Amino acid sequence: MTQQTEDPIMCLYRDSFPDFARMIRRMGGSLEEAKDAFHDALLIYMEKQKAGKLHLHSSPKAYLLGTAKIRWLHARGTGVTFPLPDGFEAPQPEDEATEEREQSLLDSLVRSGRKCMQLLKAFYYDHCSMQDIALRFGFNGRRSATVQKHKCLEKVREEIRSTQAYA
Amino acid sequence: MRSELNELYQIDCYLLRQLNEEDARAFEARLLLDDALAEKVDAQRTAHRLIRRYARREERCRLDTIYRLLLDEADFAHQIKTIFS
Repeated sequence: MTQQTEDPIMCLYRDSFPDFARMIRRMGGSLEEAKDAFHDALLIYMEKQKAGKLHLHSSPKAYLLGTAKIRWLHARGTGVTFPLPDGFEAPQPEDEATEEREQSLLDSLVRSGRKCMQLLKAFYYDHCSMQDIALRFGFNGRRSATVQKHKCLEKVREEIRSTQAYA
Repeated sequence: MRSELNELYQIDCYLLRQLNEEDARAFEARLLLDDALAEKVDAQRTAHRLIRRYARREERCRLDTIYRLLLDEADFAHQIKTIFS
């Protein structure tokens, strides 16, 4: 019988969050604030790991607690001058109207082609190989997965172009 | 691969900084002369941003699910409750 291995992010969460929550509580923050900052830090951690850019000088837990604390201080707007960790760029649309337009466009893209968005996420965000993508999405080899990936990107791009034309 | 998809691939290489310096400069020169290509590059850059936005949204949902699952574990839930009691 094989034992199912647990999601490493879940292990890290279980091990790190109570200590971070305690720290935020001592500094006068709420549970909701602690959770938001901790999720931001986990996202940064996962993105760096996927991109092969996670160079830890301490334990994953110490990295997470440090990053989450910076995120919390930023969210509080306490005038801190700590820089955000490298590689984490929050989405930066030019203005509120662009933000709204992109959000609604994304919702429409997900409604009309969730599988395409998942495939594009696997390639551009998760940095999966085309071979892995072919297996996961049931394509007949990496070549047909590559063609499908390009078609999906083209579809998204054309949707953006047609939306911009009427913006 | 048909030529449109080939062009899409070339634009990706440019946006993802996978071209060598010489090819990147040549591509930028084409951009200055070809408005249609420049428009496609802009739209493709936005596509990359939307994919990242979608991906982060999905990952945040995953983290919320993990949080809810952990709250079902007595020890974890007790620790959190004690901290904020």
